[in-house]
Amino acid sequence: MATSRIMVIDDEKIVGDMAKLSLEQDGYSVETFLNAEPALKRLQEEQFDVVVTDYKMKGIDGMEVLKTVKEHYPKTQVIMITAFANLDAAIEALRRDVHDFFPKPVKIKELKLSIKRALEKQA
Amino acid sequence: MKIERKLILSNIINGAFIILIGFFAFQNLNLVLTKLRFVEIADDLNASFLEMRLSEKNYFLYKDKQALVQIQSNIEKTLETIAGVRDDITRAIGETDLKELVAHLYAYAAVVEEARTTGSPADAQLETRLRAEGKGLKEFSDSITHLERKRVNDIILSSKWILIFSFWVILVSALFIGHFISQKILRSLREIVKLTKSISEGNFNRIEGFQSNDELGSVITAINSMSEELGHREEELIQSKKLASLGILTAGVAHELTNPLNNISMIAQTYAEVYDNLSEKDRIEFMQKVEGETERIRQIVKNLLDFSKPKDASPVEADINAVIQKTLTLVQNMIDVSNIETTVHLGDGLPHVFIDEHQMQQVLVNFVTNAVQATAAGGRIVISSRPGKNNGSVEISVADTGKGIPPEYLPHIFDPFFSTKGEGGTGLGLSVSYGIIKSHHGEIRVESKVGVGTTFTIELPQYSAQSQRQDNLTTEDKEVLELRQK
Repeated sequence: MATSRIMVIDDEKIVGDMAKLSLEQDGYSVETFLNAEPALKRLQEEQFDVVVTDYKMKGIDGMEVLKTVKEHYPKTQVIMITAFANLDAAIEALRRDVHDFFPKPVKIKELKLSIKRALEKQA
Repeated sequence: MKIERKLILSNIINGAFIILIGFFAFQNLNLVLTKLRFVEIADDLNASFLEMRLSEKNYFLYKDKQALVQIQSNIEKTLETIAGVRDDITRAIGETDLKELVAHLYAYAAVVEEARTTGSPADAQLETRLRAEGKGLKEFSDSITHLERKRVNDIILSSKWILIFSFWVILVSALFIGHFISQKILRSLREIVKLTKSISEGNFNRIEGFQSNDELGSVITAINSMSEELGHREEELIQSKKLASLGILTAGVAHELTNPLNNISMIAQTYAEVYDNLSEKDRIEFMQKVEGETERIRQIVKNLLDFSKPKDASPVEADINAVIQKTLTLVQNMIDVSNIETTVHLGDGLPHVFIDEHQMQQVLVNFVTNAVQATAAGGRIVISSRPGKNNGSVEISVADTGKGIPPEYLPHIFDPFFSTKGEGGTGLGLSVSYGIIKSHHGEIRVESKVGVGTTFTIELPQYSAQSQRQDNLTTEDKEVLELRQK
């Protein structure tokens, strides 16, 4: 089985760095981005299995990312994390077929579990 | 002395003067009446003397002793008349003249008697004596009558002059006192107008140099203490408004704190996850990351605490761009949460300004908060600084693409307690900002178009050594300086 590819988009560098460290330990291949624009460009080049994105970002936000991914790469699962417990955003994200929705601070173990389920769903 | 007492006193003095003049006029009139009475009597006497002289001529012409009897009867009547009005005559011409008149009469009577009993009309010597006495009597009587007429004229004339003189004295004194009092009232009123104007501009000065104990003194003391009290209130208002905006800021800052807190949580979890695979150097790096994030938290909290601390205004030379940047750290999150785009254009090489940084931050926070509240998600806020229109001044503006302020509200937005935000607004933010900018000798402007947006602009004077000195001066020194400039 090929290594699953995971993309993490968050404007806080540490979030990406830490996610990368612990996910790579579990054998995933991880790429991190500080904003959505280069991340979406990268998606055109390579296929990713799971995209973990922050909801609130400058420029293109998490909801845009979800919309674009679901439109162009329906198989790719999206997990959204947000610092703001925003019910409306959560409902819209579910409507747009988000895989999971986490409030910050993210529990890494829960995130890993969610990624695992996303990969299973994809398979 | 109180103005009321001064007015009463001046009225009493003028009144006394009028009474005095009245008294003199009354006295003079009485005298004139007495003199006139005498002149009337004297006319009668003169007529009688004239008759005597006529009889005297008849005696010498017709040699008829009956004429002498006629004279004697006339003399008797005259003496009776004189005795009847003796008091009036004495009052008019005095005892001496009266006695002399009576003496003349008796002398004349003696000569007439002599002529009647022993003399003959042909006696030339007797004729001469008789004529001389008669003439003397008539002349004396004429002279006093003439003198008394002249005195009456003199009295009337002097009364006229006294009246004219006192009219002018009273007029001038009334005008002078009126002018003096009204000048004093007007001067104080002008001072009061000046002070109230400066209070409305946010300068809580005092009226100095009015040490009178009168009503104006009390009014000025009351106004001075009112100004002082307003000054205290303004300080309290600034502080309470600051605390109010602190509430709004805290919400934004709380969001800002979540980022470093999340990061610390991520670091800690990952540390535990990957611990076995970490070298000692990696572990130290992890801890340094935690330290970095706590430092971030510390800065955010420090900014907030600095802003909330009550402080006396202490203007210093400052770079306005640095103050704007510092303010942005307080409000950035609030803007982000509202999904509003911020653009910051800071002018290069701006002159330094002389400001109290905290108060200026408070004004900027207020502007940005208003802008955020007026602007819908997806809107834009532009914060900029540039050289001002006046020599060396600096302009700072906060522009939004919000709903704008209706033109009828514009003249009132800096009034205390004027708010268009319903229950959410205290109506104090802009009035406090206005007070702060005025106390910095700056200008505050607003341009707004409904549906297009609003721009608040502050213009601050350039920092100069003089501005610093002037702010350290006492009120007294400032007055001296102002006088010199005049």
